[in-house]
Amino acid sequence: MPMMLRSAFAIFKRDFKKFLSNPFIIMMTLLMPIMYLVIFGNAMGGTITHIPVGVVQEVPPYNDTPLFTSAAYQLNHIDQTDAEKMLDVTVYADEAAAKQDLDNGKLSAVIVFPSSVSNDNAVRVYLDSSDSITPALVEAAVNQVMLGLGAHNPVLVDKIYGDIKYIQFFSVGVIMMAIFSATMFGGGIALIKDRENGIHEGYLVTPIKRSSIIMGIILSGTVRAFIAGCTIFWIDLLITGIILQSFQDFLLVLLVILIACIGVTSLVVSFASRFATQQEYASVIAFLNMVLFMTSGAFYPVIGMPGWLSWITIINPEYYGIHALRSIILRNQGFNVIGNDLIALLIFSTAMIILGIVTFRRTLE
Amino acid sequence: MHLFGHEKDPVPDGKNHNGTLNRPEGVLYSTPVESEGGEQADGTAIIRIDHLSKVFTGKTKNVIAVNDVSFEVMRGEIFGLLGANGAGKSTLIRILTTLLSPTSGQAFVDNYDILKDPEKIREIIGVCAQNYTSDSELTAYDNLEFYGKLENVPDSILPDRIWELLKMAGLADRAYMPVGTFSGGMKRKLEIVRAFIHRPLILFLDEPTIGLDPEARREVWQQIMLLNKEHTTIILTTHYMDEAEKLCGRIAFIERGSLIALDTMENLRNLIPAGDLIEISVDHMDPLAEEAIRKINLVNAVSVVEHNVKISATNGSRVIPAILAAFEQYAIPIISISIHSPSLEDIFIYLTGKGLDSGNGDGNETPGTGRRRSP
Repeated sequence: MPMMLRSAFAIFKRDFKKFLSNPFIIMMTLLMPIMYLVIFGNAMGGTITHIPVGVVQEVPPYNDTPLFTSAAYQLNHIDQTDAEKMLDVTVYADEAAAKQDLDNGKLSAVIVFPSSVSNDNAVRVYLDSSDSITPALVEAAVNQVMLGLGAHNPVLVDKIYGDIKYIQFFSVGVIMMAIFSATMFGGGIALIKDRENGIHEGYLVTPIKRSSIIMGIILSGTVRAFIAGCTIFWIDLLITGIILQSFQDFLLVLLVILIACIGVTSLVVSFASRFATQQEYASVIAFLNMVLFMTSGAFYPVIGMPGWLSWITIINPEYYGIHALRSIILRNQGFNVIGNDLIALLIFSTAMIILGIVTFRRTLE
Repeated sequence: MHLFGHEKDPVPDGKNHNGTLNRPEGVLYSTPVESEGGEQADGTAIIRIDHLSKVFTGKTKNVIAVNDVSFEVMRGEIFGLLGANGAGKSTLIRILTTLLSPTSGQAFVDNYDILKDPEKIREIIGVCAQNYTSDSELTAYDNLEFYGKLENVPDSILPDRIWELLKMAGLADRAYMPVGTFSGGMKRKLEIVRAFIHRPLILFLDEPTIGLDPEARREVWQQIMLLNKEHTTIILTTHYMDEAEKLCGRIAFIERGSLIALDTMENLRNLIPAGDLIEISVDHMDPLAEEAIRKINLVNAVSVVEHNVKISATNGSRVIPAILAAFEQYAIPIISISIHSPSLEDIFIYLTGKGLDSGNGDGNETPGTGRRRSP
């Protein structure tokens, strides 16, 4: 019995020594739950603020009616406890222009007010129903304002993309998650394995350039991620019942998945180019995955995040990927809407590829 | 030609050196001689190392892996770097193959500065590292193909070249098996042939025959000699004495990061003042005979322990007739006779005061250090 305890203690001691000798892992162990608290808590539970809506008055008359003026004013000043105002109201003179902006994703809703207070003239609310949260909020806000003004006009709601279930909203995010998971195990881990096993010593003495090593590994990771992304896309279609509007949309989805794969893979590889052990790499990538996925808008609209957190979305390739995919899959939008996402992804990829090449160690030091 | 003017200069830059190493007073050196191992040596330097030092900085203490080393390797020779485990051989090789940068000093490989032109150097060298660097998940063929492409072997000749190398390594029937299933010796042979897939100008072999059986070692040696005949300069590190003796034109002894001797085998042997050891067994010994032998020219010392006469002579084989004549003269019948030329190990022990395989000087002799005995 004492012998058994002694050996058990030896095993304990060995393992604990290794644990203590790696402060990085200790730090990541503690950082992970803290970041979950801060990011998950804020990204998911945040109060939605500053929803962009457009208001238009039916013509004639060509001058603003008191109903329109006060409704627009009140909508723009809906206070929320412990948060900033709910809606950002833009006044449009032309209904067509407002709807154009709604179609292009610049607005979450367009509210068309009738010329007078009456039971016959309805307030028409056009909602971007591809979002999971904002339609209900806008609808409630309009009803509240109308009630407050004592106007009993009926409110007609038009969900311009039909009824989109949460699973359909979320499924697009899962495509991005598939891409990230694939790169976690594929992108660049080969470089770290080589380093751990000392295999890299073999090819570092050949004339191969750093850029070739990084580009090669990114290429391989991109193909793997692309296969994963496309597979999940197919499964999404089967499970969630999303119907693509055209074959062109299908091709566009593949293009976005491909560019998103390049972006995410180059990000992961730029980390792999520096790490020496798989353990360190895995802990950082798991952390990164969490932060990027939470802030990508996959679960919850980005609009609900506090200001500081939504800044992360600006440098988050997953945000652009998900935005572009949702635009095509749920909203049937085209290049005019996703163009900026693609440009952002390509800029991001280029920066990460350069970072990966520059930080890659060409020597054993 | 002056190889390395070692004028007891201070350690370059004085970085992190605490001077606790007990270096021998001077380094023994000589001019290169065209000898067995260096058939193609043409007398111009292909590698120049100038006061090279490498210090690894650790948390608690710094380790001086290479300590102010200077020497040259001649074009076309087989150059041996000999030293115990941890002597700094591999670090030196890694600096020359652009894997590590020196702490101070300079080195040139085919006139390219290791710090300024590493890309150029990588194009002309082939390296067989000490540890396995083949991908164990890939097949032997795939590994060679991968390196063939990295080394810019043209696609038109690559498949033929791969098969040639696989046959050379005796691995043709295993070409499509994952390297992970290979024995240690098979892996090593694959590593060696891989190192010269692109017919490099200079071949670095770090402990090439470690873990190989005697037959495989001989095959590797033949291969090395063959490559050398094709004008490849070869630098090999080893702690096997017989390997260095068999292959190398010139041999550099490295001890605790410092160069302690560099010369041809022939000249190194002459370093030992005692020369060859001649052992003669007899039934009885006559003191007069002992005296007579002592007087023979070239004989340095004679000692008699019971039935064994031990004679140390500067040139053993040449003195034998005179010694035999002395025994004849005093009518002493000889039972057996043997000459023991000093081996590299003897020279090493003479220079460092310890055995080569002993690592930190615990004096354990491991098998595999060939002692040269001639009957």
